[in-house]
Amino acid sequence: MKKATSIMAVLLLLSATVAFAGGQGGEVKGAEPTVLTVLYYIDATQAGYAEDQAIWEKFSAENPDIKIEKEELFDQAFHEKVAAYVAAGTLPDLMYTWPSGRSTALHEQRLLKDLTPLLGKEFLSNFVPAAIDPSNQKSGYLAELPQSVTYTTVMYTNTKLLKDNGLAEPQMYADMKAMVPKLKAKGAQTLLMANKDTWVMQSCLFSTVTGRMLGDAWIDSAKAGDVDFTDQGFVDTLGFVDTMYKDGVLSRDTIQIAYGEGPALFAEGKAAFLVDGDWRQGAFLTDSSTGVALIDPARQKSEFAFRNFPAIPGEKNAGQVSAIVGVGFSVSASVPAGSAKEEAAVRWMKYYYSPEVLKIKLETGAFIPSRKGITSDKIEPFTQMMPEYYASINKTCYVLDGVLDVDVYTPLNNGLQEMGLGTKNPTQVAAEVQDAMKAWQAKQ
Amino acid sequence: MNRRPWKVVEERRAYWSMISPAIILYIFVFAFPIIISIVISLSNYAGGKMFGGQSWRITGFQQYVKLAGDPYFWLAMKNNIYIVLISVFGQLPLGLIFAYLIYRRIVKFGEFWQGILYMPAIISVIVIGIMWNIIFSPYGLIADVVNKSYAAGFSRQVEQIFAEAGGFQITDQVVKQLIAVSDPSALEIFAEPIEELKALLLAYSPDQFAVVKQDLVNLLARKWSAAFLAKRDVAMLPILFVVLWMWTGMYLILFLANMQKIDTGIVEAARIDGASEGQIIWRIMLPMLSGVVVNAAILCIAGSLNSFDLVFAMTGGGPARVTQLLSIYMYDRAFMGAPDYPLANAIALAIVIFSLVLIMLTKIVERRYGGRE
Amino acid sequence: MTVKTRESKFERIISYFGKAMAYLVMSVFALMTAYPILWLIMNSFKPTPEYRVNRIGLPRTWTLVNYVGAWKIGEFSKLIGNSFLYTIGASIGIILVATLAGFAFAKIKSKATAPIYGSFVIGILLSIQSLMVPIFLEVSQLDRIINDLLRLIGIIGQQNINIFYNSRLGVLLIYIGAGLPIAVYLCTEYIRGIPDSLIEAARLDGAGYFETFRRVILPMAVPIAMTVTILNITKIWNEFALINILVSKTELKSMPLGIYRFSGTMASDYGKQFAALVIGMAPMLIFYIIFRKQITKGVFAGAVKG
Repeated sequence: MKKATSIMAVLLLLSATVAFAGGQGGEVKGAEPTVLTVLYYIDATQAGYAEDQAIWEKFSAENPDIKIEKEELFDQAFHEKVAAYVAAGTLPDLMYTWPSGRSTALHEQRLLKDLTPLLGKEFLSNFVPAAIDPSNQKSGYLAELPQSVTYTTVMYTNTKLLKDNGLAEPQMYADMKAMVPKLKAKGAQTLLMANKDTWVMQSCLFSTVTGRMLGDAWIDSAKAGDVDFTDQGFVDTLGFVDTMYKDGVLSRDTIQIAYGEGPALFAEGKAAFLVDGDWRQGAFLTDSSTGVALIDPARQKSEFAFRNFPAIPGEKNAGQVSAIVGVGFSVSASVPAGSAKEEAAVRWMKYYYSPEVLKIKLETGAFIPSRKGITSDKIEPFTQMMPEYYASINKTCYVLDGVLDVDVYTPLNNGLQEMGLGTKNPTQVAAEVQDAMKAWQAKQ
Repeated sequence: MNRRPWKVVEERRAYWSMISPAIILYIFVFAFPIIISIVISLSNYAGGKMFGGQSWRITGFQQYVKLAGDPYFWLAMKNNIYIVLISVFGQLPLGLIFAYLIYRRIVKFGEFWQGILYMPAIISVIVIGIMWNIIFSPYGLIADVVNKSYAAGFSRQVEQIFAEAGGFQITDQVVKQLIAVSDPSALEIFAEPIEELKALLLAYSPDQFAVVKQDLVNLLARKWSAAFLAKRDVAMLPILFVVLWMWTGMYLILFLANMQKIDTGIVEAARIDGASEGQIIWRIMLPMLSGVVVNAAILCIAGSLNSFDLVFAMTGGGPARVTQLLSIYMYDRAFMGAPDYPLANAIALAIVIFSLVLIMLTKIVERRYGGRE
Repeated sequence: MTVKTRESKFERIISYFGKAMAYLVMSVFALMTAYPILWLIMNSFKPTPEYRVNRIGLPRTWTLVNYVGAWKIGEFSKLIGNSFLYTIGASIGIILVATLAGFAFAKIKSKATAPIYGSFVIGILLSIQSLMVPIFLEVSQLDRIINDLLRLIGIIGQQNINIFYNSRLGVLLIYIGAGLPIAVYLCTEYIRGIPDSLIEAARLDGAGYFETFRRVILPMAVPIAMTVTILNITKIWNEFALINILVSKTELKSMPLGIYRFSGTMASDYGKQFAALVIGMAPMLIFYIIFRKQITKGVFAGAVKG
């Protein structure tokens, strides 16, 4: 009868779809490989992408009893996925994590394992102290192993452009200011920043300015409520940024420059200085798949330099630069202790953070590893110049979005942009930040 | 009325079995999530495992109060209203008019226009975002073209000034004239324009006139600035234009398809009776299409209040949040770093309520002015 | 035979002006459409280093290296099949489920119709964005519950099977569900317009409801099916947020996710990015060019008279 056949058809269809649904866990009985799920943050257009893929493949080849299921995302897709995972409490086994900022929820909800007992003191002693210091992470324990220590302010300097125009490298802000007309006459900006994204100004320059003019202790007092952001000191730090725009050192146009445009413009000689984080040096290196670099290795050494930001009028802590521990991998807290999965995860961590792999990362300019003693003769001049820059810095200070709550640094980020557009003045921005801080303190 | 020859029971069984797939899926995809969403918006859920993690509880309408007091929420709402306006009063009429023109063969190559006007819907928003940057960046296309023309004009003026002064003479008079034709914002960087400019010029030797001209252009000429993209309201204009371009084609096809269902005899009869095109549209087509127009309006409103991808790709809601939309605002709060789920869900519901209001309005308008033939 | 109406000179001028304006606006739009597409295609054949210095001109060297690289890195061979499956599958699913429901709502009297149908209409207003996290919760919890159940009964062993999360079935179901509100709304309205007499006739022949649906409604629903498909198809093909949440295995992902991998803010390699974008756009373009006539003709043919 018609009805029976249609019911049977539906049942058949259902079972077919279930079978077809895909994603069965394991196929063979017996020695099933341990499955490790990974959420990784990377963009296929980055330099060094091919090498990175090779690193993963090598691990799988050397460890046939571990099956890696890796998902690569970044930006919007990454955040949305993480938010979904967090809400469901089902993090992947291995995750690419920030020490605070974007991964705050993971830290605060204690969704990651403490790596200190997992990896062992001996293994961790291979890394610079700053990297393994748990107080640098929002969670207060070693939730992720930073693969580098990131200096968020680097003044990439086009020494050739300066020389061609008879200009000396600036020691003080006033020197920079004096350069502006000369550079502009030659069609170049002085300080270039790709400020279209809101976080750039605060992370890559303002944090250093704050550290120099006020110092970390001041920020700690502000969080404790002993000082206010509306105090003259902080208003002055904002005022400095405002001055840079007014003096023409920073063009107001920079707010329209998308983050991806920065390196290309700088490489073309459109500006004397580019202020960005140390991670940006990777954008200039040779891409192995095309063999072309944004700035030729030959030119890297001879025409460019990495310098510290010049002396700021009214600074108390000369030469300080904002730094924060970098990103790294972490292990989900839901991996059962002592299980095969945990052991596999530890194996991965030790592999990734091994000298061999970190050396490759160094060579592709991905980052300067936090592990001690990683060198290579194959690195391009820029990658050599970066540790020299680090060595020239005597002390580091906070990166503001690493120590302030998101509700507090969001008005700060937006306020910095608005100052650049000329729609707000420092006093107004300081007031907004203070309001946000008060609201946050009330919630504690 | 004929008594149907089936039993009520069979009818009921058929009814439910026919709507059950739709209902099950709907509950799964919409109803249940919306309930969760409402509950969260009224709670203090702070991320982390939703069921089985830290406990959270209902805390009331705090989030909604917070929203009402946030000026950026209203800014985003205002921007969304702009989009709704351009959609309902731009895309729909334009789509209707184009469809009519094609239907009545007033413009030729109807098929071609249909095709190409619908195409924007196919283009990925990523492409549009890239193009946006290329066009509007301070180093982009518009800047290139406009600056070249400014440069040419300024160059001529510089030549004139020096010609009048009799060659490459640096006198106060010359400097003053140069300043007079310069862009005021370019002069901001000088504390003492006359002195500094004079000093600058004296650094050149007389045979470097061409270089001087070029340098002066770089220094003082007006530059195209994308500052308008950072002003509230004004910044929305290019976005609105892109929105108009993107979706008009879809409505064109929708209206055209429905126009073609109308009995051509009626239209012909009207023409024979001496009706003008305008009268045909107003008296005949619109009433017959009123149902479709209302449908389209609903789609329009829902789409524009929820639009995220396009604007996010173009401006990310910036700079400084001037082009932020409710959906981008929600995304910021829900997915970046330390998600604020209650607030984000409150925004989502605010969007729904707002949409409902608008749609009710649309229905009321239809009842008043519409009606089928 | 048309009779020329009497138009005043004034009206004539207006109409010429109007026509000119119409052509103008349409041409502007058309150019705005054509240019980015052509620009994109052109640049996808340009090597990235050349693109950096020559952003809007023709390539001096034409190369396929971008396509090869993008296709490999993006693993598009895995993705393209999925995209077709999801798009076609979901489209068909939506039409079937929606017309079925539409028939019931439109032609069968029931007190339940008003509230249920009403909720579907409200569904049109909801954006998937705000529902992503709850949907993910549902999907993962459901999977867990079902797995536990099946394990209890003894059907499966240690490993989990993915029924909804990380499965094609899950994606299809959610896509169908997501497209339902608009589809149900349109189908119901449309089916209301189908004369009862036709249905009566079929019933008098002794057909059951489902048979009537198959014989009468479905064929007549072709125009609205076309409309719904037009509305849905590009949305589904380019859909990105939901599928990102629902799958993590590359083998199940669709084209937009592959393209997204190239949309970097760290973008150095524009060439591959453009190639990826063209790859993503091409199927839709081709579909559209081929089926354009079908779509408009289909609507013509299905026009119901009387």
